[in-house]
Amino acid sequence: MKTATIYFLLFLVAAMVLVPLLWAISASLTPLDKVFANVYPFSWRALVPLDFTWEAYRNIFQGQSHTAESVAPQPGFGKPVLTTLILALGTVIFGGLTCASAGFAFARFNFRGKSLLFSLVLLSFMMPMEVTIVPLFVIVSRLGWVNTWQGIWVPGLVHGMVIFLFRQFFSEFPQDLIDAARVDGASWPRILGSIVLPLSMPVLISAGLILFLYQWDAFLWPLVVAPGKDLRLVQVAISLSVQEHQTLWNELMAGSMIAALIPILLILPFQRHYVQGITGSGLKE
Amino acid sequence: MTGTQLRARGLRSREDWIPYLFLLPAFSLLLMFRILPVLATFRESLYSYIFSASGPQHMFVGLDNFRRLVQDPVFWKSVKVTMLFSLVINPTQTALALGLGLLANQRVRGIRLFRSIYLLPVAVSLNIVCLIWRLMLDSNFGMINGILALVHIPRQPFLGAESHALWSIIAVATWKGVPYWTIFFLAGLQGISRSVLEAAAIDGANAWQTFLHITLPLLRQVILFVLVADTIINFVLFIPPFVLTGGGPQLSTNLLMLETYRKGFLYGDTGGAGAISVLLLAIMVVIITIEFTMLRARET
Repeated sequence: MKTATIYFLLFLVAAMVLVPLLWAISASLTPLDKVFANVYPFSWRALVPLDFTWEAYRNIFQGQSHTAESVAPQPGFGKPVLTTLILALGTVIFGGLTCASAGFAFARFNFRGKSLLFSLVLLSFMMPMEVTIVPLFVIVSRLGWVNTWQGIWVPGLVHGMVIFLFRQFFSEFPQDLIDAARVDGASWPRILGSIVLPLSMPVLISAGLILFLYQWDAFLWPLVVAPGKDLRLVQVAISLSVQEHQTLWNELMAGSMIAALIPILLILPFQRHYVQGITGSGLKE
Repeated sequence: MTGTQLRARGLRSREDWIPYLFLLPAFSLLLMFRILPVLATFRESLYSYIFSASGPQHMFVGLDNFRRLVQDPVFWKSVKVTMLFSLVINPTQTALALGLGLLANQRVRGIRLFRSIYLLPVAVSLNIVCLIWRLMLDSNFGMINGILALVHIPRQPFLGAESHALWSIIAVATWKGVPYWTIFFLAGLQGISRSVLEAAAIDGANAWQTFLHITLPLLRQVILFVLVADTIINFVLFIPPFVLTGGGPQLSTNLLMLETYRKGFLYGDTGGAGAISVLLLAIMVVIITIEFTMLRARET
């Protein structure tokens, strides 16, 4: 291919990716009555916030709006953001440890039923959670966890994909280091905690990103298990605010940009780890 | 037997339980929230809430849920829509992701910046993507119609007409999905040694011949993986129809997962939803069996 053709295609795809995102950013920084200015017929001005204002962001966080019916789920958008952040960080820590120790067992031990159990892990990451959402809801409601944070959080702690990632990484861990620690009398949990994990930064970052994004992006399950107003997570809060208040587009885009910004800020600096994480689970058996 | 061997053996038996200890937290969760629900799906599909004087009762109804399902035109419409959707979106996304992978693998200045840009749709959640596109595709003031107006094409009801809505959903899901699958193709392409491609060039192969006879066969596993994984994900796609169209107009975008949600959680028909889930599970099992066979083939 000629270099000019390559650049033409590169810019074309980049425009297809960037135009919707730029417009969304611009709309979130524009007063409500100007959101759709310059959109029909389209002009480049639509992609730049010419009447710049933080108004939409102020409104969603303060939970008040210049119109009577506020778009922000009371008391403001800060609460869903904070709730989701806490749950996502909790998923990273507890889900990460749970999956890491399972991955360690598969990588470093031989035991009865190993291949059967590992098949279950593979099966669980090929089978999307959505398929079983109805019985999962029945089980979680029997536990009395509807509209609770446990209900949202606990079922998402363990991920076959993340166990698989840890197993791959731990299989290549140098045996000498483990042997040396065994000779010094270290217990197995201690070997995992203070020798293997500290030397496993790449996989910890990959797994952490996957777990964080899973919880941050979660939509169907939180919608089903915690429909009440108190525990709305970011994605559900934004989506339901559209159904409840149709017209405050700038505030809708402001909320969307907050929800988008956090994963972007996490993925872009750790691109390499993220890419290795998701491709490692699918390609390099 | 030497002393060391004896000791080693003793150590072994005392430590037999160690791996199970490491597996315990993960497997209690997996069992409870992933495996038990699979089994419970079958049970749920055989039960239904019967309304009696003493309130709703969860009762065994045999295959009644399935009988109701096959008589339900909404269900059949949903099956038809899902099949059409799958047949179009999975090959499309796979082909486009392969193309984008080839493009992003070009060695030109600034390619890293372009790769980062292409990663943006992966980072933005599907829900947000759909909200943005909902406004972009609006028939009155949406930007896509604004761009079409520049070339004098009249306003299109992208989300409001039966003839358009499913295609709009496919387009939005593709905008979000293709960059994700491109990651796999790019990784696969970067694994192909340049000397192989250079050898082909020296032998006089043009770019198309090199692609067809060298790159494509070497990417066979990646293509299969992406196609299967994409098919699985798209069979249970929920957010785009939920956010963009709510399943309409005239149920033309009512994918099976949305129908499951509507039955189970809006109309309280958990039995009917369970019956659809059994069907989805069966489809998944077929696809996953194919995937497992592929994995085995790769290992040997």
